[in-house]
Amino acid sequence: MNNNKGVATMTQLIEIRNLGIAYGGQTGWTDVVEGVCLEIAPGEAFGLVGESGCGKSTVAYRLLGYGAANSRVQTGQVLFEGTDLLQLDARSLADLRGNRIALVPQNPTTALSPGMRVGQQIREMILTHRALPAGVSMGQRITELFALVGLPDVSRRYPHELSGGQQQRVTIAMAVSCNPALLVLDEPTTGLDVTTQRQIIRLLSDLRSRIGMAMLYVTHDLALLAQIADRIGVMYAGQLVEVAPCAQLLAHPAHPYSRGLIASIPSVLQGHARGSGLRGMLRRDQMAEGCKFEPRCDFATATCRSTPQVLVPVADGQAVACMRWSELADTQHSTAAASTALRPERQSTPLLSVDNLSLSYAQSGWFTEWLGKRTVPIARDIDLELGAGEIVALVGESGSGKSTIARAISGRLAPMSGTISVDGHRLEPTLAGRSVQQLREIQYIFQNPDASLNPRRSVRAILERPLQHFAIESTPATLETALESVGLHAGYLNRFPEQLSGGERQRVAIARALLVNPKLLICDEILSALDVSVQTKIVELLLALKEQHAVAMLFISHDLAVVRQLADRVAVLYRGELMQMVDTDALFNSPLHPYTEMLLLAAPGLRKDDYVPKPPAMPDAPSVAGNGCPLAGRCPRQVGSLCAERRPAPQMTQSGFIRCHIPLAELAHHSDVAVSARHVQVSGPASPLLSYRSITP
Amino acid sequence: MSILRLVISRVALSAVTLLLVSLLIFLILEALPGDVATRILGRDATAKALEVLREQLHLGDPAFSRYLHWLGDLLHGNLGVSIATGRPIADVLGPRIINTLLLSLLAFAMYLVLAIVPAVIQATHRGTKVDHAISVVTLVLLSLPDFLLATILLFIFAVAMPILPALATVSDASSWLDNLRAMILPAVTLAIIMAVYAIRVLRDSLIEVLRSDYVRLAELKGLRPYAVLWRHAMPNAIVPALNITALNLGFLIGGVVIVERVFSYPGFGTLLIDALQLRDLPLIKATVMISAAVYIAANLVADIGAVLLQPRLRTSR
Amino acid sequence: MSLTNVMSGWRTPALSSWPARWMAMPGSFKVGSIILAAHVLFALIGVFWTPYGFAQMGTGIPLSGMSWLHPMGVDQIGRDVLSRFMYGAHIVLLLALAGTTLGMVAGTVLGLVSGYLGGLFDEIVQRLVEAMISIPFLALALVTIIAAGPALAGEPALIVLVVGLVYTPRIARIARAAAMEIATREYVAVAELRGESTWSIVRREILPNTANVLLVEFSLRISYAPILIGALGFLGFGIRPPTPEWGLMISENRGLLIASPVTVFGPGLGFASLVVGLNLFTDGLSRMLGQRSVVGA
Repeated sequence: MNNNKGVATMTQLIEIRNLGIAYGGQTGWTDVVEGVCLEIAPGEAFGLVGESGCGKSTVAYRLLGYGAANSRVQTGQVLFEGTDLLQLDARSLADLRGNRIALVPQNPTTALSPGMRVGQQIREMILTHRALPAGVSMGQRITELFALVGLPDVSRRYPHELSGGQQQRVTIAMAVSCNPALLVLDEPTTGLDVTTQRQIIRLLSDLRSRIGMAMLYVTHDLALLAQIADRIGVMYAGQLVEVAPCAQLLAHPAHPYSRGLIASIPSVLQGHARGSGLRGMLRRDQMAEGCKFEPRCDFATATCRSTPQVLVPVADGQAVACMRWSELADTQHSTAAASTALRPERQSTPLLSVDNLSLSYAQSGWFTEWLGKRTVPIARDIDLELGAGEIVALVGESGSGKSTIARAISGRLAPMSGTISVDGHRLEPTLAGRSVQQLREIQYIFQNPDASLNPRRSVRAILERPLQHFAIESTPATLETALESVGLHAGYLNRFPEQLSGGERQRVAIARALLVNPKLLICDEILSALDVSVQTKIVELLLALKEQHAVAMLFISHDLAVVRQLADRVAVLYRGELMQMVDTDALFNSPLHPYTEMLLLAAPGLRKDDYVPKPPAMPDAPSVAGNGCPLAGRCPRQVGSLCAERRPAPQMTQSGFIRCHIPLAELAHHSDVAVSARHVQVSGPASPLLSYRSITP
Repeated sequence: MSILRLVISRVALSAVTLLLVSLLIFLILEALPGDVATRILGRDATAKALEVLREQLHLGDPAFSRYLHWLGDLLHGNLGVSIATGRPIADVLGPRIINTLLLSLLAFAMYLVLAIVPAVIQATHRGTKVDHAISVVTLVLLSLPDFLLATILLFIFAVAMPILPALATVSDASSWLDNLRAMILPAVTLAIIMAVYAIRVLRDSLIEVLRSDYVRLAELKGLRPYAVLWRHAMPNAIVPALNITALNLGFLIGGVVIVERVFSYPGFGTLLIDALQLRDLPLIKATVMISAAVYIAANLVADIGAVLLQPRLRTSR
Repeated sequence: MSLTNVMSGWRTPALSSWPARWMAMPGSFKVGSIILAAHVLFALIGVFWTPYGFAQMGTGIPLSGMSWLHPMGVDQIGRDVLSRFMYGAHIVLLLALAGTTLGMVAGTVLGLVSGYLGGLFDEIVQRLVEAMISIPFLALALVTIIAAGPALAGEPALIVLVVGLVYTPRIARIARAAAMEIATREYVAVAELRGESTWSIVRREILPNTANVLLVEFSLRISYAPILIGALGFLGFGIRPPTPEWGLMISENRGLLIASPVTVFGPGLGFASLVVGLNLFTDGLSRMLGQRSVVGA
């Protein structure tokens, strides 16, 4: 169909010249984007990366000629094939949108019209732009598009009947339906499982090679970009600080911010070396006339503060906005040396002991129960042990039941069967039955920092309440010390939650939990809602706290990279059943279990790895209602109907157990082969920055 | 299948609510401490009159059995006998209900136009002078008590400019055109009363929908403004307005009482007032039950309508 | 997180002086407050002084229309309508305030506890509330007034009770919805995990965070209360005459509509201005507190 790669032309597809955008608020106009210049060639994939609030989405939406209601363009042009999009009238803009430039939105659940079938939503787009190819009927075209994105014919379905990953595929199908020249993607894989994320990325690469469209991919996740982008632009505080080809940027980042960003990304390939976070926070009131990154830069000088930085080309295709870049090129970004974490002594009586726990949700409401009770099983036969001062991670994808297990341990959900014991004493299933002492011993930190703190109370009141409730003696210094131990100064006591950032709120939540001297800290996906650089710092904090307070932690997460840095042991959960329980190092060096292997394979590292998921061995033999291994039907190493019919018994390993029908010895052998293959793939030319990450098998 | 289940459960809940309403009414009217007969006839009533009343209302029987009798009668369709006129209530109610029904239908039709048109104009011209002007007018109309609004309209259109009749007398004798003319003023009044509450909600709901992700994507897909508004925005904005309309029934039934009184329209509302002034207990109970039943039925329809319009709600979670 | 939330601006040093805060408030709030203040002043004066006595007859020629001595005219038995209006002002305000407060307290407690607890208690309360709402409020009010008997008829206390009765279920519904939304927040779970009692959680965690919604609700209801009270008076079920309750006045003077319309529209205009003021105040308040303004319903 129409493919604008026809005539070999030197004009770029997209040219952004000196774009400046401001947002209007109560105090006047604030610049959120300044002096951004970038170009995208036809068919090129350009990644735009930066922390939240850096202005990347604002820039991306202007490529569609769209701006939020209270924003205005101060300077600059956005040229699409030579035409300035910012000057176009509404009619011409509508002609371009969807037709030549299309958007893949961030949140497909809210972006698809709830009352309209998805097929109809695609149809109206094709009709509006009259983009139906000759000789093809509408129905055929839509089926074609769905096939292109790997979906069966779902045109009759409503959006809420599809899963998150399916919804996103629909929006992608919709976006490419008129064969656009440029695709703008606004964080398209946020909130999706790692394996689904990889599939979407693969799909996009695939489409690109087939249709030849260009892409602007906006994200905060560099690791994903590494898999698909040709060139990457790094934004900070509304400015482009570095532009470089993808491999070049990841191997030799030039700008201090890029270097810090890359260094703070944990990877499953690291040892216990902690990723070092970026210092400080983005604070607009601290910025001076000159370099915006200066307050957080380890290499800044006095002149940096007063000299505005501009993007200058420094190497082939690489441009940096830092006047000291050449001086910094040889310095090592300061990182902590690889160290093996102290493993606490395994004690005879475990702190927390979970035996044979089974959980389910009953359909709520007495009335609906009368109409027909429905119980949904969530988890089965969970056995966990946690020693004092130990960090055990509970990993699994969404829907695996990990949060529900945490809820049960904390007492908010009564289990169907099984026991939970702390220090050998059985805990009552519900909160009402537990003693004050027991309530104090287990503290819980939630995923969502925005909702963890009562917005109507000051930080001081929030911290004082648990002390009051548990009648713990405290002096004024107690609160201050608590804040300092989480890296906040005493001035925070009088602030309210809405004045704090997400990371700061999470720290207050941690301080609140530690104030009562708990024995066990349950961390329920506490990092998911935070930026990568902030995540790293919280991880550092948790490790420090573990050493100081000897508090045990049950760390729930889906992010294997973080788990590697933090946990002593790992429990792998799939669909409510424990697949494996093992030491962290052992897990990453020889994963053993097929599911664990799948997870490790899907976790993106910082190099393009041409991820191809292993297809299920026997997709037609899934497990039937409660029997068999839950992985049946998806497992690439399924051995036959045995997996579908009988639950695997646990096989004991050195540090834990594993549930699989394949005998241990065979699993171990296969693991070694796979891991060494991966080592070969990844260890490329050693670069100064990556050298400390060499893998020790 | 799940739709059926949903409908059944909703209907069952509504029935329970209606039952509770009957209990409530009975409690308030007949089960409060003190002598019911005296309350009805007043302190100056003769002992003989009180006796007769007690006989008529079976006040000698215990309250609970009285309630059950009444309930049983209701379920059989027997609404009782009016003590003021001695006639079966059903006979009295029939024509009155029909009158009010016609009035309400006319008012409802006007209400739809009066609510949707300004709301759409406001939402699409947000922040302009037109938006503000409509808001001001709506606010003023909202602030007028029903009786004042009715009186003002009466004054303008029946007294100052006598184009419509002041007394909305409808009867089988007059032509349908005359009857229609008589109904216009009260219908317009009712329509305005309901519309002013709905405009704001519809406008806000529309504005919020126009700001949603899916409307934004529809716009960024290159669809024309007309398509974005009518195919993506309106269907989703209507739903809260549906709720409000059901709520408006409450205002309608209340407003009917006052409006009918001002215009002397022989409908359900004036019947209720008369019953109350005459302390006609059986009639009061019957009319209040019917108003409650209408309200509950309207809410039921609105609920089910919302489910049908929003496929998302069909899977009851 | 509303960056334009003026209330939160009070905590940061940005807007700390009173004149600045006043200027930053929404226009509707300012206008509404001024109108309300005027009405309160008016009512206060009316308690102590009116041009003529409110029951005083023969103050002027009956039905003489608008004049300097009688801005709202004279009714058919010679009473000055303006004096009656002035005296009636404080009655309306006090009744509206008392009745709404009663409904507010009862409804809030019921709604918050029911919304937070859920379960069987909530189901029962919900059914009751729904049943009460299903009875059209005017009918409920009138029936209750009748049922109270001749002893209480025409007493202000009855009116207050009736207004409270009508409002309690409606406010309870709003409070319940607000409580249910807050109950799912993590900080409530944190308090539960500490083992705090239900009452403590409702008081410390839920109430402060529903305060915005409830404040707007209070303002909304009190805006409609004069209309409700006026309707009762209009239909003859309100305060006993000769107390010049506004609704009753308008009803009485309706017969004079053709002869002397000012006796109806004078009080009518005054009445409407009070409600307009209340509605503007509510609108502005809801904007300030970041709520969607739902004036009406």
